[in-house]
Amino acid sequence: MKGKTLFWVVLFGALAALGAGIYLLHGPAVRSAAIYVDGALYRTVDLGAVAEPYSFTVETPDGWNTVQVSPGSIRVTDADCPHQDCVKQGAISDGAIPIVCLPHRLVIRIGEP
Amino acid sequence: MRGKTQKLVFMALLTALELTVWVIEGQIPAPVPVPGVKLGLASVVTLTAMVVMGRKEAGCILLARIVLSALFAGSFSAILFSLAGGVLSWAVMGALLGLFPEKLLWVVSVFGAIAHNAGQLLAAAAVTRTAAIFWYGPALLAAAIVTGAFTGLGTMYLVRALEKYQIGRNR
Repeated sequence: MKGKTLFWVVLFGALAALGAGIYLLHGPAVRSAAIYVDGALYRTVDLGAVAEPYSFTVETPDGWNTVQVSPGSIRVTDADCPHQDCVKQGAISDGAIPIVCLPHRLVIRIGEP
Repeated sequence: MRGKTQKLVFMALLTALELTVWVIEGQIPAPVPVPGVKLGLASVVTLTAMVVMGRKEAGCILLARIVLSALFAGSFSAILFSLAGGVLSWAVMGALLGLFPEKLLWVVSVFGAIAHNAGQLLAAAAVTRTAAIFWYGPALLAAAIVTGAFTGLGTMYLVRALEKYQIGRNR
């Protein structure tokens, strides 16, 4: 690599490493999961503050879902809905795809306030 | 580039190409769990247009793509974010294009990507009215450097390939 290319590669490499480092060390609380029932916020869980996995049950007007919280992830382990799509989806740990239990109008998503 | 008609056809072609790339990329899930991070393959077309045709033409193609992409994304806020990122990126790349030799075109692309993410971050801060969103800054900077270098190299290959078909640069 010639001098100028090397200069930019090193500069950008250092900047990228710095940025990623800062984000990983001091990033925002994107690890917060929010549970919504019928569009209204039901409960938020800081997934970064979970030491031991625990479960709780969400009672909705249409039925119940048992939610299990683990360090960095959240899942529905049991529900009295007919298709069990929310249970089959398993654990989520990022904001890509929320867990949705359509019959109970329950949504669990990560990373949004 | 000879003649008005040829120019118009080529611009339309690039607009269609950029829109197609944008739509296809939208179908690929983001590889990292940071909201707003994507490869930005569409910028390959914008920067290529800037090198081959010029800044003004690249700006027209970009604006056309953004307006059309809203039809596919189906939301107005998408236009806002695309505009904030796209216009800033276009301005920065346009300003830097003449300052770097051809071999360092990818550096221009990296700065463009950084400007794009900065623009989107500012728009997001304005929309959500939360300053905490700037914590994404460092992550978006790192992402922009990686994706910008990648799309920059893609642009360099595309510009070189176009030369074979006598579609030369016209800065």
